[in-house]
Amino acid sequence: MPNDNEIIDNIANKEYEFGFVTDIEMDTAPVGLDESTIRYISEKKNEPEWLLNWRLKGFQAFQREKLPEWQNFPMPSIDFQKISYYAAPKSKKKYDSLDQVDPELLATFEKLGIPLSEQKTLAGVAVDVVFDSISVKTTYKEKLAELGIIFCSFGEAVQEHPELVQKYLGSVVPYSDNIFAALNAAVFSDGSFVYIPKGVRCPMELSTYFRINTENTGQFERTLIIADEGSYVSYLEGCTAPMRDENQLHAAVVELIALGNAEIKYSTVQNWYPGDKEGKGGIYNFVTKRGICKGDHGKISWTQVETGSSITWKYPSVILQGDHSTGEFYSVAVTRNRQIADTGTKMHHIGRNTRSRIISKGISAGHGNNSYRGLVQIGPKADEARNFTQCDSLLIGDQCGAHTFPYIESKNNSATVEHEATTSKIGEDQIFYLNQRGIDSEKAVALIINGYAREVLNQLPMEFAVEAQKLLSITLEGSVG
Amino acid sequence: MVQEPAIPLYEEVVDGFNKLLSGPTAAVAGPRAESNSLRRAREAAFGRFRERGFPSIKDEDWRYTQIARFLKDKYDLSGTFDQDQSALADKAEIPSLDSYRIVLVNGTWQRNASRGVPPSGLLLLTTAEAKQDPVFAHYFEQRTGDHHFTALNAALFTDGIFIRVDANAVPDRPLHIVHVYTADRNLLVQPRHVVIVNRNAALTVIESVVSGSPPDGPRILVNSVAEIMVEQDAQLEHILIQTAGQSTRLIQHTTVRQKRQSLYNNFTVTLPGSELVRNELHVRMEEEYSESHLYGLYLTGGRQLVDNHTLVDHQKPSCQSNELYKGVLLDQSTGIFNGKIYVHKDAQKTNAFQQNNNLVIGDKATIDSKPQLEIFADDVKCSHGSTVGQFSEEALFYLRSRGIGEQTAKGLLINAFAFDVTEKIRTPALRSHINHLIGDHIPAVNS
Repeated sequence: MPNDNEIIDNIANKEYEFGFVTDIEMDTAPVGLDESTIRYISEKKNEPEWLLNWRLKGFQAFQREKLPEWQNFPMPSIDFQKISYYAAPKSKKKYDSLDQVDPELLATFEKLGIPLSEQKTLAGVAVDVVFDSISVKTTYKEKLAELGIIFCSFGEAVQEHPELVQKYLGSVVPYSDNIFAALNAAVFSDGSFVYIPKGVRCPMELSTYFRINTENTGQFERTLIIADEGSYVSYLEGCTAPMRDENQLHAAVVELIALGNAEIKYSTVQNWYPGDKEGKGGIYNFVTKRGICKGDHGKISWTQVETGSSITWKYPSVILQGDHSTGEFYSVAVTRNRQIADTGTKMHHIGRNTRSRIISKGISAGHGNNSYRGLVQIGPKADEARNFTQCDSLLIGDQCGAHTFPYIESKNNSATVEHEATTSKIGEDQIFYLNQRGIDSEKAVALIINGYAREVLNQLPMEFAVEAQKLLSITLEGSVG
Repeated sequence: MVQEPAIPLYEEVVDGFNKLLSGPTAAVAGPRAESNSLRRAREAAFGRFRERGFPSIKDEDWRYTQIARFLKDKYDLSGTFDQDQSALADKAEIPSLDSYRIVLVNGTWQRNASRGVPPSGLLLLTTAEAKQDPVFAHYFEQRTGDHHFTALNAALFTDGIFIRVDANAVPDRPLHIVHVYTADRNLLVQPRHVVIVNRNAALTVIESVVSGSPPDGPRILVNSVAEIMVEQDAQLEHILIQTAGQSTRLIQHTTVRQKRQSLYNNFTVTLPGSELVRNELHVRMEEEYSESHLYGLYLTGGRQLVDNHTLVDHQKPSCQSNELYKGVLLDQSTGIFNGKIYVHKDAQKTNAFQQNNNLVIGDKATIDSKPQLEIFADDVKCSHGSTVGQFSEEALFYLRSRGIGEQTAKGLLINAFAFDVTEKIRTPALRSHINHLIGDHIPAVNS
């Protein structure tokens, strides 16, 4: 039976399981960023004039903005000129069946344990696979189309539903929001677009697997989900990336729009390459995610399980504009080796009777640093607004750190806001209790961690909950097998 | 960074500092008498101030307190007062409390208004006298980390009080320090106080802040710094009652350094009045087994802004800290709470708790609360909590259904809310004094 130190060493030394590079020919833009890069991308994607202009405005905002300094980690130096801003698999064909898909690509997914063939038969899951930047395969599209649901790549949406894209693009995360959102606006390559019509309940979980593949390619995904009045959609996002040495930047933007009585549930499992145990390499995951409950009685719920990336830096937020709207945020973030997570949420209460609930669970091991940063803002008109926040941190080993930075701003005397946070290690008494019952320390730690994260994992859709649990176990393997 | 020209006070203090250095001037007390090393420390501090200037809302620690609007007025760096201020000092009288009273007017000790002769073992000096003392210089010159207002104070401080309790001494009565601020024109006052509690000594210090000028009278900006040293096995009970009037703007920084097995308890009570109150309380636990309890109560009214910034710095293992700040916000006032607990890598076996509760009553009142934990050690128990809420409808209904009028019922509930803090005050006379002060303001409850 390993003792505590061995367990901790094991966590710290665990190599990344999903590291490999797939050799597929890529169509790559020249390295570097200037106006011509943006024109190149826009032209490649055959975009209308207004979108090109919007991209250029984003680029101007990007040039104006400076890198922020308020975050709780040293900002890595990123050479924006050394990144290639566009990469797409060369084969331009549209596929009707899996046989036509590049076998290498299929093998990649095989290794990840998410074979497309299986996914296709898995009832209730439609997968829009984004391989690097371009959608290669969209399943179940026809079935969804019957209900009037639009689920396609961003590029397709621009061609086929320009009026919807133009109306909502940038309405929640404007191009001037922050430097990475501006960069994304300028160079976003592709992403997913979802529109659920009035009163439709999407019958299946929509999911996308993102994968970063080409060396030196930053991935700039853009997701836009619109749930029209009285509709419901659950969207899943999951990621793994192959091992490499050079740091990679991922600056995605996700915008959610829930109109009256609509509900959007957005779940993420993120397991990108975290770098080796010295902290070399790994993905910089700088994502802007924000949703708005525009109409009354809307609901947006974010769930995230963050185990990968060398730096995870994102605050999925909800603007509660409509009266009686609800925002939720559930998060588990694991950091080990030299990983850094600075994540949390923002809940902006604007309408009356708005409510929000935040549950954040941080786990730090090795030299990992985990920060929760959250904002709960109650506006003067948000009568009877209600918030509950709980953020717990678990420390494994004495080299890691846990940090909590909650901001509460209330301008209304009828609002009720509660925040509580705890930091502790796994209790020796808890491990002892389980040992006594014949459970070895390693399994005991696994049980305790799973129990600790349960409240969040329970929020994930069934298919994902299993995967997420497996991921937590793999991530903390050696101690939590 | 160069300070935005929008703040005329910046030019004023730069000018004042140059005068201080360039020789004999009555503007600042006795610069000629200062040792070279003290002057060097002042210069270094001024350098730090010039580097950062006055804070703006872009500084994380000042994001909710827009200080610039309080610095727009033209302030003089020195003022005079002629008449005896005993009457004002009496406003801070605590009924049936037996204490040694000393009165400071604009930071300068008025010996004639003081009462009681301190016993042996308790040494009181003015800061002007004490700065000749190598002990003072020792504490003063060690400070290098400060900036903004604390650095400005270090550069330009005029006077203050120096308190030293000898080892094993336990004065029989609390020391009551009454700070009186009064001016006939806008004035910037920068007192600096030092409290040293030597080994195995114990002291209770009560500080009251009162002011003389009428609400629309001349403004007094107080930039006060206190340095407190609690040596091994020593105990200090420190109570601060802020009842100054509207025209007083208080910026008050306190740094406490604790040695092995020492105990420091702080109560900060702020009542409606001063339009700006900024309390910074930094407790550094520099040695093992030290313990600290910080209690705060802020009852804010009018357009008042009360900002409490606390930092509990756990540097060594096996220390305990406990913090409870409660706020009642009336009218259009703003309350700010920022509490930080920092646990260093070495500080295993730390227990640190922090709680901030706010009762928002005024319909235009604002509260910004930011409890923070930064933890680098794993074998610790740390937690914080923060709440914002209103009167419980059920509790109000319960009281009213028993024939208690709405105003009285609300008053009772406010008292009950504050009770968590007031019950911790050990001196009965002081406890009832604070309860009375709260009671005086509760009729203001409306809505």
